[in-house]
Amino acid sequence: MSYLIGIDVGGTNTNGVLLKEGKILATVKAPTDHQNLHTGTRSAITQLLSDLPGKEPDKVELHLSTTLATNAVVEGKGAPTAVLIIPGPGLRWEEFKLPFKLYPLTGYIDHRGREVKPLDRAELRQQLTAIKEAGYQALAVVGKFSPRNFQHELAIESMIAKDDPQLLPVTLGHRLSGKLNFARRITTAALNASIAKLQAEFVHMVQALKAQYRLGRIYLLKADGGTLALQESINRSIETILSGPAASLMGTMALADGIQDAVALDIGGTTTEISVFAGGEPLAEREGAVIAGFPTLVPAFFSRSIGLGGDSVVTYDGNRVTIGPQREGPPVALGGPRVTPTDAVLVLGGAALGNPQRSFRAIQALGAPFGCAPLRLAEQIVTAFAEKAAQVIKEIYQELNNRPVYTVSQVLTGANFQPQKLIGMGGPAVYFIPKIGQQLGLPYQVLPYHEAANAIGAAASRPTFAITLRSDTALGQLVVPELDYAETIRRPFSFNLEVAREEAIRHVLDYAAEFGVRYEPAEIELTEEEVFNLVRGFHTIGKYYSLRAQVKPKTRSIQLC
Amino acid sequence: MDGKPKVGLVFFPAFDWAIAPDHPEREERLLYTRDQIREEGLLDLPEIEEFRPQLAAVEDIERVHICVPSVAKVCTESHLIAAGGTVRAGQLVTAGKTERAFALLRPPGHHALRIVHGSRGFCTINSEAVLVEYLRKSWGGRLRVAIVDTDAHHADGTQDVYYNDPDILHISIHQDGRTLYPGTGAINELGGPGAYGLTLNLPLPPGSGDPELLYAVEHLVLPVLKDFQPDLVINAAGQDNHFTDPLTNMNVTAQGYARLTELLAPDLVVLEGGYSIEGSLPYVNVGIILALAGLDYTGVLEPELPPELRQERPVREEVVHNVAFLQETWASRKEADLERVFGADEFFRRKRRLYYDTDDIHEMQLEEIKRCGQCSGYRKILSFAERYGRKPVQIAAVLLPWHACATCRHQAQEVYAILVSSTEWDYVYLQNPEDQERPLVTVSNGA
Repeated sequence: MSYLIGIDVGGTNTNGVLLKEGKILATVKAPTDHQNLHTGTRSAITQLLSDLPGKEPDKVELHLSTTLATNAVVEGKGAPTAVLIIPGPGLRWEEFKLPFKLYPLTGYIDHRGREVKPLDRAELRQQLTAIKEAGYQALAVVGKFSPRNFQHELAIESMIAKDDPQLLPVTLGHRLSGKLNFARRITTAALNASIAKLQAEFVHMVQALKAQYRLGRIYLLKADGGTLALQESINRSIETILSGPAASLMGTMALADGIQDAVALDIGGTTTEISVFAGGEPLAEREGAVIAGFPTLVPAFFSRSIGLGGDSVVTYDGNRVTIGPQREGPPVALGGPRVTPTDAVLVLGGAALGNPQRSFRAIQALGAPFGCAPLRLAEQIVTAFAEKAAQVIKEIYQELNNRPVYTVSQVLTGANFQPQKLIGMGGPAVYFIPKIGQQLGLPYQVLPYHEAANAIGAAASRPTFAITLRSDTALGQLVVPELDYAETIRRPFSFNLEVAREEAIRHVLDYAAEFGVRYEPAEIELTEEEVFNLVRGFHTIGKYYSLRAQVKPKTRSIQLC
Repeated sequence: MDGKPKVGLVFFPAFDWAIAPDHPEREERLLYTRDQIREEGLLDLPEIEEFRPQLAAVEDIERVHICVPSVAKVCTESHLIAAGGTVRAGQLVTAGKTERAFALLRPPGHHALRIVHGSRGFCTINSEAVLVEYLRKSWGGRLRVAIVDTDAHHADGTQDVYYNDPDILHISIHQDGRTLYPGTGAINELGGPGAYGLTLNLPLPPGSGDPELLYAVEHLVLPVLKDFQPDLVINAAGQDNHFTDPLTNMNVTAQGYARLTELLAPDLVVLEGGYSIEGSLPYVNVGIILALAGLDYTGVLEPELPPELRQERPVREEVVHNVAFLQETWASRKEADLERVFGADEFFRRKRRLYYDTDDIHEMQLEEIKRCGQCSGYRKILSFAERYGRKPVQIAAVLLPWHACATCRHQAQEVYAILVSSTEWDYVYLQNPEDQERPLVTVSNGA
């Protein structure tokens, strides 16, 4: 692979970047057309390719970060979706506050994946009839504990394929995540089903581009900073939500040098986005992304947003300066109505922007009733900004260090997360990051502003494949839910942790190979490993293994030219 | 609702700790409970928030126990986390962070007595007592607590710690001791001379189920609590009354436990025993959490639930009778003729044999409680413990109560000095829970 295009379809602009072996050859920018997402994409590609020197034999790989899925979910543009659920006993499904129509079915799988109650096929037929009569265009099927045993979900899918093929494709919950959380699995599968059609249309459009240009493999960026093969995104479109923030974080990683344990602040006009790096990797959300208020199981980066930005409203009561959380317009210097932190920076001579005289007068007016001189008040405002950011960062680390742990050794290890460095991005970062670093007693680095940072992030990302492997030697069962894989363990006594690890790694390799990506076993890491003796009546009857394996996350390093 | 979570969950399954690989108190015990809680998505509900446990400090343990020879020799880190996690749950409620809290953790603690030679009934450190003493210290001794223990085994440890404490009400409802370890908890065990009637025991006949348990709560526990007016109600919630428990002979269901929690509305729930790790714990724990959160728990049903346990049936006569006896005892406890119960001597003396089933230790205890009109009286305990293959140990301990009068303080010091001067004892201890700093327990090696 020699040439690579990264494109980020953002809220306002679509940015593109053309790379060759880690070096930026060209960047482009075009306004995003929300009615027609591929217009901007197409023109970005056209421009970038026109910069390609001469005729190149190699095809160009394309990495796309799009707002398609995010917008569809946030704006509720997905198709009306019905969900067939197999809830079994427990928290009443009627209590779930979900915006999807749920059709319950009899049947019950327990926590070890044993079938306690079978499906009732006559009832299933009735529910399918009801779904068809109600006119739903999208359908998901989710059973409680389905990652432990997905036979019910598979049986429903094949029955639909046989009797009601017009309802296909259906999203099955277990394929999207091996993690336990029934309500989140319902949400994830339902959202996935609801945007599947939009995604398919988008994929067709992009494929048209592929034929038109010299494009090779095409990948879409996911919320966890990895990429997903274009074709596979039809089945797993939900994983492409929140790819914008992911692209931004990947851009940070590609542009900053030597991030190990660091806190990254993207300071914008209205908000500041805070993310965390630990051991050189961005931290992930424990369960999954939350989008438009819906908790999901979609793997995503950890990030917190606070209402603190360069344009936040400043108030002063003679004693305390308060900043944000709302924004009422641009800084006074640019004709805005209220004093902002940016105005304070201008008064202190830290930047050149608009009309600093207006900033000075506005801050003077804010301090006058309390006899506070403008320069002193400006200093106070910048300090208050830094204090607020530092306070939130401390709270985030406190929260992370208080994450529940389930073993004695983890309790004894104590605080695991400690930032060693502060990284700043965004327009106002250069003014505030040094002050915040001072508050926290941390060295800092402000990344040079790069318009195409998100596109660079998209280009820098690599495919990620992750699976869950669970085996229970007492029941003689091994499953990899994401891959529909279930096998009977024929030799339970020679099945051990080594075998479980090898199996997990093999499944990741096979999964990647299916999409044409080859990895070495050394490139696969085990991110979770649980082993328990199963003891019944004072005898060990077997072992339980639960592993998660994935391709080690990596970014390409990108050099700015 | 004022926005704060209803339930703080301090969940600590200690996935890397077991008494022994095949022991019921092992790594796997809360595995399926963890899976059920996660699959039900309980931690996403706004009513529920999870918290991490902390380690209890040595002085937190010493405020309750006399560990022989020392806290460090008797406790593992898992015990300090279970006790510290219970303290954390208590802090959540007293600091107003959550309305209620559930310390869903292991190992359990309610068989741990005042004097600790080792582990008995899978317990080494009494988590509820560690919490109560922690709070009592923070509140300068002004704290009234009710502990309602609903484990199938008699809470002999908690009873022992608070046997003579007028500020702590201890009610234990359990399978009749004549049929189950530890054998105590008879209906006529009612507390020491300084706290008579504040220890209540309701033995239930084997085979009892939801009707008996709920009858006891409605007709005995709730009226007594209303009368006692505690600052804090703790439910020591063993889950081994469940119909699937392998160690007991009871018939309580997850619905029964959830209803019990709803009726009792405790400030704190602390897990004790319960060893049906697949058939009971996942469902009972989810039921309790939902009930504490004020959510609908009626859908929480065990896969093996026999239909006859869901049917209404009358409460067993024996239980109705015993509840009536205890109601009467409670109502007349202040008029009780203590001389008839405890004799007219200056000291009430008792002699007990105690057995540590987990560590196989036999103990003989001689206890003296000073009958004092000003306070609940200091205590002296002489303890002889024998563990096969080890040198037997003989210790003496002098214990001051909270709010000890000047006379008792003085006499306790004198008694301690005499014991220390004797060569008879391997260790001599003096415990004062009101001490602000260590040592709360003074140790002297008599030998």
